[in-house]
Formats: sequence, C-alpha cells, structure tokens
Amino acid sequence: MNAKAIIKDRRFQYIIFGLILALVPVIQKAGMMKTSTVLILGSVLIYSIGTIGLDVLLGDSGLISLGTAGFMGLAAYVSAYCTTVKGLPFEVGAILAVGITVVIGALVGLISLRIQGIYLAIATLIIAEILLKTFKELVWFTNSYSGQKVAYPKLLGIFQLDRNSMYLFVVVVLIFLMIITENMKNSRSGRALNAIRRSEVAAQAMGVNLLKTRMIAFMYATTFAAIAGVLYGGLVNFVYPSTWILSLSLYFMAAVVIGGNRSIPGNILGSFVVFGLPDLVLKKLPVVSEMSGFTMIFTGVLIILIVLKYPNGLIHLPVQVISCLKKGSSRKGGEGIHE
Amino acid sequence: MNNSDYALEIKNLSISFGGLKAVNDLSFYIKKKEIFGLIGPNGAGKTTVFNCITQFYIPDTGEVLFSTNKGTVENLVGQKVHNIIRKGLVRTFQNVEYVGDLSLIDNVKIGATDQFTSNFFGSLFCSKKSRREEARAEEDAIKYMKYMGIESFKDMMADSVPFGVLKKMELARALMSNPTLLILDEPAAGLNDQETEELAHTIHQIRDDFGCTILLVEHDMPLVMGICDRICAINFGQFLACGTPEVIQKDRSVQEAYLGVSEEEDHE
Repeated sequence: MNAKAIIKDRRFQYIIFGLILALVPVIQKAGMMKTSTVLILGSVLIYSIGTIGLDVLLGDSGLISLGTAGFMGLAAYVSAYCTTVKGLPFEVGAILAVGITVVIGALVGLISLRIQGIYLAIATLIIAEILLKTFKELVWFTNSYSGQKVAYPKLLGIFQLDRNSMYLFVVVVLIFLMIITENMKNSRSGRALNAIRRSEVAAQAMGVNLLKTRMIAFMYATTFAAIAGVLYGGLVNFVYPSTWILSLSLYFMAAVVIGGNRSIPGNILGSFVVFGLPDLVLKKLPVVSEMSGFTMIFTGVLIILIVLKYPNGLIHLPVQVISCLKKGSSRKGGEGIHE
Repeated sequence: MNNSDYALEIKNLSISFGGLKAVNDLSFYIKKKEIFGLIGPNGAGKTTVFNCITQFYIPDTGEVLFSTNKGTVENLVGQKVHNIIRKGLVRTFQNVEYVGDLSLIDNVKIGATDQFTSNFFGSLFCSKKSRREEARAEEDAIKYMKYMGIESFKDMMADSVPFGVLKKMELARALMSNPTLLILDEPAAGLNDQETEELAHTIHQIRDDFGCTILLVEHDMPLVMGICDRICAINFGQFLACGTPEVIQKDRSVQEAYLGVSEEEDHE
C-alpha cells in the first residue's frame, strides 16, 4: 500500500478524526473551552455510537427499531447497578450490561423478525415502553426518579478516569467501532444487509438467510446502543428514567436521516446536528432558547427540509455544492450559484 | 430409480392457489449440459414452475429431483430457499432483481455470498480468511463481468446503468456461485433484437465454457427455437408436449394453445 492509498483509506481518516477529537481536552485545559462543552461533545460522541449502530439496521437493512433508547437505558442501568450498588469492576458491569441487553434484544428479534415489515418497530416500541416503566418502578435496581449515581470508571482496576480522560476513552471506543463498522459494511455481510433491503427474493436466491441477516442487523444496532448506554453512565455520572423515552429513539432515527444514511461520517454529522447543536448553539440564541421544545421543532423542520431537498443527507451536501459551483463557473459568469 | 444423466427431474408437480390449479401433475426431465426451454402462453404457469423448483413456493405434491454439485441426487421440495444455491442451482429473475444503491461489482459479489466460510466477526475485524475470500470474490466478479462484457460499468451504481447491462449483471452474478444448473426467467424480456441475438450467443457460450445445464422460460419464440436442445410446452399448468424444437412446432396441442382451436366444439 502506498501513501496515497493509506490516506484514501476510510479507516485511516477515522483515526485522524479521532486524533482531532482528542484535542478537545487539551483546548479545554488551555482555557479556551468550557468544561460543560467537553461534556456535551462527549455525549454527542456517545449518541453517535448509537446512531452508527441504528444506521446498520435502518440504512443498510431497511428495518425500523424504536427501542434504541430503551436498550441504551437498560445497559446504562445494569452497568450502574453493577458498579455502584454491587461494587463490581467497570469491565464486569460493562460486559453484563451489553450481554443482558443483547439477550433481550435477541428475544425480541427472534419473535418479530420472522415476518417482513413493521413488526420489529412494534415489538421494539413495546419493549422500550416496558423497560421505561421498569426504570421508573424498580427502585432497588434504578433508584427511580432520584436517579442512579455512577462513578467515573476505573479501567482494569488501575486507571481511574476523570471527565477529560473519560472523554478520551469515549473517543477511542467510537473510533474503534467506526473502523469495525466500516469493515463490516464493505464485506459480504454488508452486501447481504443491502440485499435484503432492496430485494428479498434476489437475496434469498443468492443464498442470503433472511432471518439470520435481519437478526445480525438488529443485534448490531442493539449492541451499539448498549455500548452507548454503558459509556453514557460513565461520562454523565447520573442515570435518570426520563432520559430513555420514545423521543430519544426518534432523535436517533432523525440523526440517521439528517446526517445521511449508509454513511458513517454522515451518522457522526447527524448526531452533532441533532444532539449537539441544540445544546451548543441554539440555547445561546436570544429568542429561540426561551421557546419550550425548540429542539423538537428544530429537528422536525430539519427532517422535512432534508427529506425534501437532500434525501441523501447533509453529508452529501458539500459534494452537491461543489458540483453546482463547477456547473456555474463552466457556464461563464457563475450564474449557476444564484439558482 | 434416478437416472444419473438427468440434471433435474420434475415428477408429478402440482400446486394450487386457493381453487386455482396453477400447475397440475407436471413431469419432465432435463439432461445434463442441455439447454432446455419451458414455454407456454401467458399465465400458463411457467414462472410458478420455476418458483416451485427454487422453493419460493412449496409444491403441494410432486418431487423436484436435482443432481447436486456433490454428485448426489436430492429432492429439493421443502428445503430452505437460501440453501438451494449451495447445491449448484441458481436462478435469475424476470424483472432483474438488484440492489440499486450498490455498485455493479458489489451486486455481482452478492452472488458469492455462499462461497464465504468466514463468519461475521471475521468481516468485522478483517481477518486473514475474510480478506482472502473477499479478494477471491473480487477477482471472480471481475472475471465474470469481463466475460459478460460489462467490466467498464463495474464502479457505477446499479441504478444508473442501462437495463441491458443489468440483465448481463444478473448472469454474471449467477455465475459467481459456480452453478451446475442455471435457471433463466425470461432472459430476453426488455431487450432489443440485437441484444437478444447477443444473448442467444452468450447462453450457448455459458453452457460450453462452464459446462452447466440451462433451463429457461422465454416468450421470444425465435430465441427459444434457436437455442434450445429440447422444449417442454405447458398451458394452464398442464403438460402439452415435450421434445426438440421441430417436434414442438409441429405439435397440434401446442399450436392450439398458442393460436386457438380451429373447431369450436373443443372448448367446453
């Protein structure tokens, strides 16, 4: 592989992206950024993990899950319970959290994925509501509305993380997951996912096992949601039931649609727009910040605009702008720009 | 009681949808390395027969005996659709089935799904085995695309290439699985005269180069009569006649099915 091929390799670009993200704590230490901004950026990156996972299900395989928030919450609570209440190491809590969430996801998937269509959406909606109710009622497990406290994790029992190093840990996990997802999307597994979305008959005739492939996609999304849940507890330090409501699942879908489906950079961009912009920018604007539910309005309007104007998502916007500019300048006088 | 010279033998195949008998007690056989045509007027049940062979529909009665690539003869009835390709039987579709937003070469590679032995985690972490298999799939895909003369389209999105190219892509994709029996559902549908002529040549070529048996359903009579070694004609799911193109052309029941009966008494 020569240098050019390496630079063009998506995985290399992701690592560079990770290094840039890793500069954030340094900037904060230099006093050029508020500590709350690090926290917001960190949670955006955590939500990105959920979005990337959901995109494998929604974008590649064309299935809808409304359970992202529920699964993420479950993992956050299991991890919190294991570490805070039971005093188990972070790693054990994380593995249990992901494991339990994936098993519950697998049961839902096995029941609802035998049939094509919207059954997965219905089943995941139900399970998410059951989980939400559980979070509110099961006081010994979740501490209900008072919230479950989570400490910053201690990795391998040696490295005690603080806010900035936890942020860096999130970056490392995110980049790792981005790379393996990129690998997966370019493999026969990725092609099989796409095949079941566009043509189930061709997929079957070409030897793709429908149920197995749908299960893989759903398990992938669930695992990523669970990982995001574990990291969320570790970074934010508190887990409340009111976080894991249906609208969070819808925000995840919005992030996939707005950023651009079937594109990992698109998922990241979408997460920044949906989960980051309201907190980082909109809350500082004079009039908008006083409106209640402005994030909902913002996301809703954005979805409508994106679906109408850029169905491929914001990530493809630069390419379109450039080609538009090129067309304009070739027409002499650049009239195309004003169109 | 199986003849090992047969690539495929259909015995007493019947399927009905509600009260409609789509295929009724149909039997025929295809010899190895033969180009075999299945013809009949619209609604005769040709595609249903295809779907029964490939297990998209499960026939009510009858047997589909297939001589697999492992040299054994198996009854396909009741087997899972996605396992059929593993036995060396692959099909194309009447309206090309493809993934529009993948590149053409990725579409062709879907045909190699079954050639992979590395598991999901292999593809996550790019294991040596999965990289090797991916490289082989890439090589094969280019080989078959070259063979079909569509290599120059390989990086284009399938949605943006002409229909004729998609038809060829489907054949290349089918070849990816090293089939022993290739089932073509109206390969000439939507093609112009020149493309149809080209197709006839390609089908012969595929049979000679890869040694596979070919079963095709087709409306284009000159094509069928021109390339098939033997033909089976059906109407309303019933067997009419089977034989060489000359025999079929002269067969009275086939003529009646296509052109209508001369005497009026014949129809109830």
